[in-house]
Amino acid sequence: MEQQEILTITNLTKSYGNKNVLNGIDLHVSRGEIIGYIGPNGAGKSTTVKIILGIEGEYGGEIKLFGEDIRQSGATYKQRIGYVPEIADVYDNLTGYEYLTFIGQLYGLTLDLATHKSQTLMELFGVGEAYHARISSYSKGMRQKLLIISSLLHNPDIVFLDEPINGLDANSVMVFKEILLQLAAQGKTIFYSSHIMDVVEKISSRIILLHDGKVAADGTFEQLQKDNTEGTLERIFNQLTGFDRHQEIGEQFVTIVQEV
Amino acid sequence: MKDFKILQLLDKLQFLFVKMGIDYDIMRKILHIKLTMDERKVPTLFNQNAKKKENQTYSYIKSLWIYVLMGLILIPFISFGTQFLFQMSIVYVMVMFIIMTSMISDFSSVLLDIRDRTILATKPIHTKTLNAAKFMHILIYLSFLTVAFTAIPLIVSLIRHGIFFFLLTILELIFINILIVVMTALLYMMVLRFFDGEKLKDMINYVQIGLSLMLMISYQFVIRSFEFVNLDVHVNFHWWSILLIPMWFAAPYELLFNGNYSFWAIILSSLAIIIPILSIWLYIKLIPTFERNLQKLLSTSKSKKEKTNRLRAFFLQLICPTHEERAFYRFASLMMKQEREFKLKVYPSLGFSFVIPFIFMLNTLRDEHVDFANSMSYLTIYFSMLIIPAAVLTLGHSSKYKAAWIYKVVPVTDYSLLIKGSLKAFLLKLYMPIFIILSIAFCFIYGPHIIVDLCIILVVGWLYAIIGYLCFGYTIPFSEPYDAMAQGKSTMTIALFLLLALLAGLHYVAATFIPYGSIILLFIIVMVNVIVWKKVFTRQPKYLQ
Repeated sequence: MEQQEILTITNLTKSYGNKNVLNGIDLHVSRGEIIGYIGPNGAGKSTTVKIILGIEGEYGGEIKLFGEDIRQSGATYKQRIGYVPEIADVYDNLTGYEYLTFIGQLYGLTLDLATHKSQTLMELFGVGEAYHARISSYSKGMRQKLLIISSLLHNPDIVFLDEPINGLDANSVMVFKEILLQLAAQGKTIFYSSHIMDVVEKISSRIILLHDGKVAADGTFEQLQKDNTEGTLERIFNQLTGFDRHQEIGEQFVTIVQEV
Repeated sequence: MKDFKILQLLDKLQFLFVKMGIDYDIMRKILHIKLTMDERKVPTLFNQNAKKKENQTYSYIKSLWIYVLMGLILIPFISFGTQFLFQMSIVYVMVMFIIMTSMISDFSSVLLDIRDRTILATKPIHTKTLNAAKFMHILIYLSFLTVAFTAIPLIVSLIRHGIFFFLLTILELIFINILIVVMTALLYMMVLRFFDGEKLKDMINYVQIGLSLMLMISYQFVIRSFEFVNLDVHVNFHWWSILLIPMWFAAPYELLFNGNYSFWAIILSSLAIIIPILSIWLYIKLIPTFERNLQKLLSTSKSKKEKTNRLRAFFLQLICPTHEERAFYRFASLMMKQEREFKLKVYPSLGFSFVIPFIFMLNTLRDEHVDFANSMSYLTIYFSMLIIPAAVLTLGHSSKYKAAWIYKVVPVTDYSLLIKGSLKAFLLKLYMPIFIILSIAFCFIYGPHIIVDLCIILVVGWLYAIIGYLCFGYTIPFSEPYDAMAQGKSTMTIALFLLLALLAGLHYVAATFIPYGSIILLFIIVMVNVIVWKKVFTRQPKYLQ
């Protein structure tokens, strides 16, 4: 398959007041990649995604999605994006059916098609029995499945997932990983951001590490291992973000716990 | 954190709890935390008017004055005669109604608090202590409420009927409070047994709506109720009196002060004492089952299938031509039907707007003899429009306003369609049903010649809704928190009321002084409507600019 560039970010900057969140990010992403998008809290992962989706405005630099500058392309480019935010509020007084068909319709699906797709997907995900129940009564995992489905209903070309497996049981995680692989095989691009390093290590075809609003590492897991320490992604993460005090802090913590 | 007077009072009764095997210190600590938390929230009844920011510690106590006022209605019933069975039955009906509704609307959350289970039940505290804390927490508030509601009538009774009457009433009020807490708990237990948590929350929501509506209407009737007071009603015991709980509590008065030693008087009087005591025992017995059933509040509610209706789909196509508009029409109708907070804010006034034209009609009726065939008093139907500004304002808000991130993510280009769809949903699903029923009633009263006028009023309603939405900031529906609602909107509300008066006045002038005025006016209003609805929706709403 030819390498087709789907997302190009050039020198992306963003600041809130005089606090810089992103300090010039450069990225080139191709079709069919599963990108593990990692970094410490506050590194700017969510901000990048929000800017791409148009939720956050006023940024410096340029973002090209599907070859078009998103500043120029209006809202229609969102038709090709799927998004699962980390903390997602939903109108949870609606039922799964009502919410999913609503979202589907906003993406231009007909009611019938949205109903058919969302119901089948819910059933496949093992939550078919909750389809007509209020979302407020869902468990954490069910909610997460609903969000995943709502982000994929319209068959997007690029999907941004922020901690998507939060609350899913082990079996569902297996199903979900398989879904990601299949989607990537179909030429979809997946941005996977998470703090669970083992999962990122296993499913990503490429890993991008963000630190202090900059790209600190970019490459396959093997490449990262070569450039840094051998071992797990967790160790590489520690090294790249310059964190080595975990032992010391842990000891202190336990000492305080033991004071009764 | 400050200490509470009521807890210091409770300290005096410490021995009672200790005797029952309750860890008083722990219970007191729990109650202290709960009361502190309660101080920081606003009771439902006053949500509509209270500006939270202004006074962070809006305590429950401060909201009780309204019950003091409402309690005045008891005075004539307590004092006017010695028909105790009748009088006191009425009094206890009212007392029980107030306590019960307040219990359900304000303290259900306490009874149904599942956080207790994760936060408190996981700690090394005896369940007995936990349950006692819960029971006392509610009882403290209900006693505040009861005192507020009955204090002045009680003083009147002390003067009028003497000390024994006074003491008996206090004793019975205590019993009633206990009985009501237990009855509510049992009621919830039954509901949870057969239905799921969502259903229970819905039922509580409807009680809250009913209570708000009752209060709104009761203002209109309080004064008139004094007219009934002079009726000389004589009530006797029957076998079915045993089903009327308030009558149990009225029976002791008949027994002790009127010397009625009949069989039923004794039976009912003893019920008034035995049942509350028995209910405490039952409560202690059943509370573990109740707590277990509470888990159901956390579980997934049962699924119910949606019916699809071809005819409705066809009509929807006519009303909302574009795809997005239809999606939003459906969404807004569902939100209005299912978001409990929205219902609590809008439905009571919706019911009120149904009643208020009749109230005004009755007022004119009392003053003079009205010739319905020629009267213009059907214009009181304009009063039904008073709710439109508030409802339309609420439409922009939601308790889940943060879920509005979704509008930024979807590829919708024309966001005004969302507003259009929601406004249509409001007008068709909430306003039109009320208006149509009112119209039919008015046609019966005034005759079919008012149909043209009713059409004018209907179209004015549509116009009024869109103007209201424009004035209140033109935001995307369900995208702002309810807290933001009260801020600086009161002047606008008054301006909108004036506008309504102006429109009604215009209607009156046109119908009275201009030949064929109604038909001309109808034509003009329809034209204005078309233009305004077309023009307005070329603008993009606030949220996304």
